[in-house]
Amino acid sequence: MARQMAAREIGRRHYRWRELWLLIVPFLILLLEMFQLPLAQYYKSSISTSTQRIPFSTSILPTVHDLIPILGLIAAVVVVHIALTIFFPKADQVIFPVVALLSGLGVLFALRNGPDLTRGPDPNLGIKQLAWVLIGLVVFLVTLFGLRSMDWLRRYKYTWAVLGLVLVGVTLAHALRTNLNSPTHDQLNFGSTISIQPSEFLKILIVVFFAAYLSENRDVIAEGSIHFGPISLPPMRQLGPLLLMLGISLLLFLGIRELGLALLIYGIFLAMLYLGSGKLSYVLGGLAVFFLLGFIGYALLGYIRQRFAAVGLDMVNWQNWNDATRNFVQNAGLQVAQGLVAISSGGILGAGFGLGHASALVPVAESDMIVSVIAEELGLTGMFALIAFYLFLIYRGYRIAIEAREPFYQLLAGGLTSIFGIQILVICGGNLKLFPLTGLPLPFLSYGGSSIIANFIIIGILLRISHNTAMEREGLA
Amino acid sequence: MTLDVFLLILRLLGIVLLYLFLMQVIISITRDLRKTAEVNLDVGELIVVDSGPSQIAPGTRFKLEPQTTIGRGPTNTIQINESFVSAEHTRMWFRKGVWYVQDAGSTNGTYLNNQPARAPLQARSGDIIQVGFLRFKLSNPLDERRK
Repeated sequence: MARQMAAREIGRRHYRWRELWLLIVPFLILLLEMFQLPLAQYYKSSISTSTQRIPFSTSILPTVHDLIPILGLIAAVVVVHIALTIFFPKADQVIFPVVALLSGLGVLFALRNGPDLTRGPDPNLGIKQLAWVLIGLVVFLVTLFGLRSMDWLRRYKYTWAVLGLVLVGVTLAHALRTNLNSPTHDQLNFGSTISIQPSEFLKILIVVFFAAYLSENRDVIAEGSIHFGPISLPPMRQLGPLLLMLGISLLLFLGIRELGLALLIYGIFLAMLYLGSGKLSYVLGGLAVFFLLGFIGYALLGYIRQRFAAVGLDMVNWQNWNDATRNFVQNAGLQVAQGLVAISSGGILGAGFGLGHASALVPVAESDMIVSVIAEELGLTGMFALIAFYLFLIYRGYRIAIEAREPFYQLLAGGLTSIFGIQILVICGGNLKLFPLTGLPLPFLSYGGSSIIANFIIIGILLRISHNTAMEREGLA
Repeated sequence: MTLDVFLLILRLLGIVLLYLFLMQVIISITRDLRKTAEVNLDVGELIVVDSGPSQIAPGTRFKLEPQTTIGRGPTNTIQINESFVSAEHTRMWFRKGVWYVQDAGSTNGTYLNNQPARAPLQARSGDIIQVGFLRFKLSNPLDERRK
C-alpha cells in the first residue's frame, strides 16, 4: 500500500505546465476574433448605407457581454485542463491546446456564418455549436475515464462491427424511405430538433474493429500465403472478415450516395492494413483496386460523374466559357465555383474575420465548404497556420501510436489519427477543386454535433493511450 | 482613425498571434524530441556480484527494461551465453514502481535472496537475484529516490 502511494505521488508530481503555457495564446486568439466580430458586423452594415469612411469611436467597441460565448468556452477548457492535470498528468500535452484552438475557431465561424447562410439564416448556429463543443468536452473526459482498460474494446470487436453496421443500416432504410435527392442521407432524426450522423461514430467503430482484428492476425497477414510470382496476397481466411466489413460499408455508402464516407472508409482500411502488416505492396494493390472501382463507379453512377465534372472546371479562363460551362457553374458546379471565387478573393492576408462574403454566397458554407470561408477571411496565411496545426495534431497522433506498447494500441492510435488525416485531405482537396467535392466535415471547424462529439472521442482515446503508455514506461501502472 | 484601419490592426494582430502559437507548438515538439533522444528511461539495472564459474567480471552492469527476460537464447533482453543458463531462464517485470522476478522454467533455477522464485516475487533495491550460478544485485532508482 505504501509503495502504491509513493508511486502515485511520483506520478502526480508533474503539473501540466506546458499545456497551460500552450493554452494562453489560443485564448488570446479566440478573444481577439470574438472582439472583432461585432465590429465587423457593424462595419458591414454601415458600409452598405453610407459611402463615406466610418469613423472609429470607443462607443462601438464590444462589451464584455458580447464576449460571453468565448469566455464560457475558455472556462470549460480551463476546467478540462485542471481535470487532465489531476487525473491524467502523463497524457500528451500538445494535442489539447491545438484542439481547443480549432474547436474555438469552429464556434467562432458558426457564430459568424449563422446569420448569413444561404439555405436560411440561423442566428443560433454559433450557440448550438458552442453547446456541442461543451458536450464534446464532457464526452472527452468521460472517454478518458471510461477507457481505464481498453481490453473490452478489443474483446468485443465483432460487437462493434455489427453495431456500426446496424447503425448505418437503420439510417440507410430511413434515407431510402424519405428522399434520395437531399444533400445528406446519413442522418437519424429524433423529434424535430436533434439529428445525429451515425457515420461519424461508425468510423470509430470500424477503426476499433480493424485494430483488434489486425493485432490478432497481423503475423499471418504480413507473411502472405497466396503467391503469384513476385506478388503475394494475404490469406483469404484471415482477410475475409476485414474484406466483408469493408465491402458492406462501401456498398451502403455508395447506395446512399455518400461518396466521401466510402472514400474515408477505404482510406482507413488501406492505412490500417499498412500499419498492421508493414507491406507497401498491399497498399499499392489496394490503390489499384480503388482506381478500378472508381472507374466502374464513374461509368455506372451519374452522381459520381457529376462530382468529377467540377474537378475539370477551368476557373481561370472564365471569359471564354461556353454556355454549357456557364450553366454548369450556376447549377451543379455552383458550390465549388463559388468556393473558389471566395478563396481567391481572400488573398494573402484575408478579408478579415467577419468581413468576407463566402458564407452568404457559397452553399453549405457552415460545414462542407468551411475551408472556403476560412480561406477568404483568414487568407493564405491563416490557412497555412491551420493546416500546420492539423499536421502537428496528426504527427502527435502517430507519435502516440509509435510509443504505445501493444500492437492493438498502436493500431488503434494510428487508425484514429489516419481518420483525421484522410478527412482533412479529402475535404480540403474538394474545396480547392483538386478532388471531387464530398460531404465530409473538417474536424473541429465544421458545424455539426455528431462530428464534434466523435472527434472529441477520438482525441480522448489518443490521450488515454498516451497516458497509459507513459505510466507503463515509468513502471507506475 | 477610421474603423477599417482599426479592423486591419486587429486582423494583423490575429495573424501574429496564430503564428506565435504555431511557434510555441513547434518549440515544445522539438524540445520533446530532444528529451526522448537524451533520456533513455532508467528503470534499474542488475550488477554482477558473484560471477560463479562464468567469465563475466563482477561489477558488470546490465540495463533493465520494464519487461526483461534473461537467458541464453538470442531473443532475450539480457543474453548470457553460459551453459548453466537456460535458453529462457528468468523473467523480470516492473509494475507500479516495483520489480517482480519469476523463474521461466529453467534447469538450474532462479533465486531471490536464496529463495526459489517459482512464483512471482517482489524484489527491492539491493536484493540478490541468482540466475543459475550467477548472482546479481538489483538496483531500482525509484527505491533509492524514496530513501
